[in-house]
Amino acid sequence: MRLHPDDDVAVALRPLASGETISVDGRALTLRAAIPMAHKFALHPIAAGMPVRKYGEAIGEARTAIAAGDHVHVHNIVSRRARKSA
Amino acid sequence: MADSFLGFRRAGGNVGVRNHVLVLGINGLAGAATRRIGSAVCGTVTVATPYGRGQVGPDAEIHRRQLIGLGRNPNVGAALIVGVDRKALDAIAGEVAKGGTLVETVALDDVHEDALALTDIGLKKAAQLVRHISNQRREACPVSALRVGVECGHSDATSGLAANPLVGKVADRIVDGGGTVIIGETLEWLGAEHLLARRAATPAVARALTEAVARREAYPASLGIDLLGNNPGEENIRGGLSTIEEKSLGAVAKGGSRPLIGVLEHAQAPTGTGLHVMDGPGYSPESITGFVAAGAQLVFFTTGPGNSYCSALAPTIKVSAHPQTPGRLPEQIDFDGSAILTGGEAADATAARLYAQALAVASGTATWGEILGEGDEVFVRVGPSL
Repeated sequence: MRLHPDDDVAVALRPLASGETISVDGRALTLRAAIPMAHKFALHPIAAGMPVRKYGEAIGEARTAIAAGDHVHVHNIVSRRARKSA
Repeated sequence: MADSFLGFRRAGGNVGVRNHVLVLGINGLAGAATRRIGSAVCGTVTVATPYGRGQVGPDAEIHRRQLIGLGRNPNVGAALIVGVDRKALDAIAGEVAKGGTLVETVALDDVHEDALALTDIGLKKAAQLVRHISNQRREACPVSALRVGVECGHSDATSGLAANPLVGKVADRIVDGGGTVIIGETLEWLGAEHLLARRAATPAVARALTEAVARREAYPASLGIDLLGNNPGEENIRGGLSTIEEKSLGAVAKGGSRPLIGVLEHAQAPTGTGLHVMDGPGYSPESITGFVAAGAQLVFFTTGPGNSYCSALAPTIKVSAHPQTPGRLPEQIDFDGSAILTGGEAADATAARLYAQALAVASGTATWGEILGEGDEVFVRVGPSL
């Protein structure tokens, strides 16, 4: 489920298996990892340091390069807010 | 008549959805005696602060505001207020009575520090109050009389996708009916404050909101603490939430879409109707007590994997849209919103069901939390004791 046309990620409405090919808004996408229910996966490649959008808004930035079909979570994105160093 | 529920009309003009006798302990020195009185008299709800002495400045003020606000909550038909010294007791009791609550008091001073004598007098007074207010009957009242708090706890990604937007639709309906909605948890506006500020009724409200978020964001940073690893918390991360921004964008949806009328301090009652935000903690027990002390008679509480906490004074309607949670916790989750995600029901139809259930609860239908006694009230402190 893609929540907003500008989004970089979509949300799994059921658990999805690694290697599974799914259709998001009519486009085929092969998942590179298992996606637990309600977790996010990338719809297209996201470069390290770029903002990651869900609900049409930035929810953080990519820590590393993220490929289409990757699981997107705390291992590869990070908040831009309320940081000690900020 | 517009949408209505069956409530208890109070002397002050407010409407209760419950008819509690509150046994309110205002000083931790009398906490055990307060609880003893409450447990001895059926039909009472006990709230006993562990604090009440040695507090100064803003910390004393916020404590006083919470005590008075809980005593004035429209769900309280009558209150027995239990204290230590007469002067402090009468000061609180006088303010509670001004709100229209029927008040009786008992102080350790009156019984020469004998907690058993205090119990004896207190339980007789509480019993008299229970009998007295049991004469009150419910009457049809308009939705405009409702003041509702919206909270989320143990959120996961289904909260932001479905449960919070669902509560948001009901919040809009309550505001459109002339009622009041309060959303708190300042930290969970972080990353969504620009969206809330856009809805502010005046530039001053937008500024107050933005400043509240900045203060809350600066506080952990000033202590050298990184919010990462604290919020989102463990349950949030397991449920698929990666950052505070993501959690906030989902969390603010439970406030609906109507204009933002005002920014309240913790436990501060709004002076008008419509959507308000309360600048307060994200910890649910403290946050909800802030709403209830501001006069909320009803609380919506969304959760992903479950969360049993409830207000002691305001029926707390638990909403989950996780496909497994309502089935796993049938005696905790009051409303199953998962049909939105599994495709079985249109969101507007689910919202209409939740709205109808809220009016039923306001009219007397019991929540699971009430049946199982999960309710509590938890006081915020903002400074050390002297």
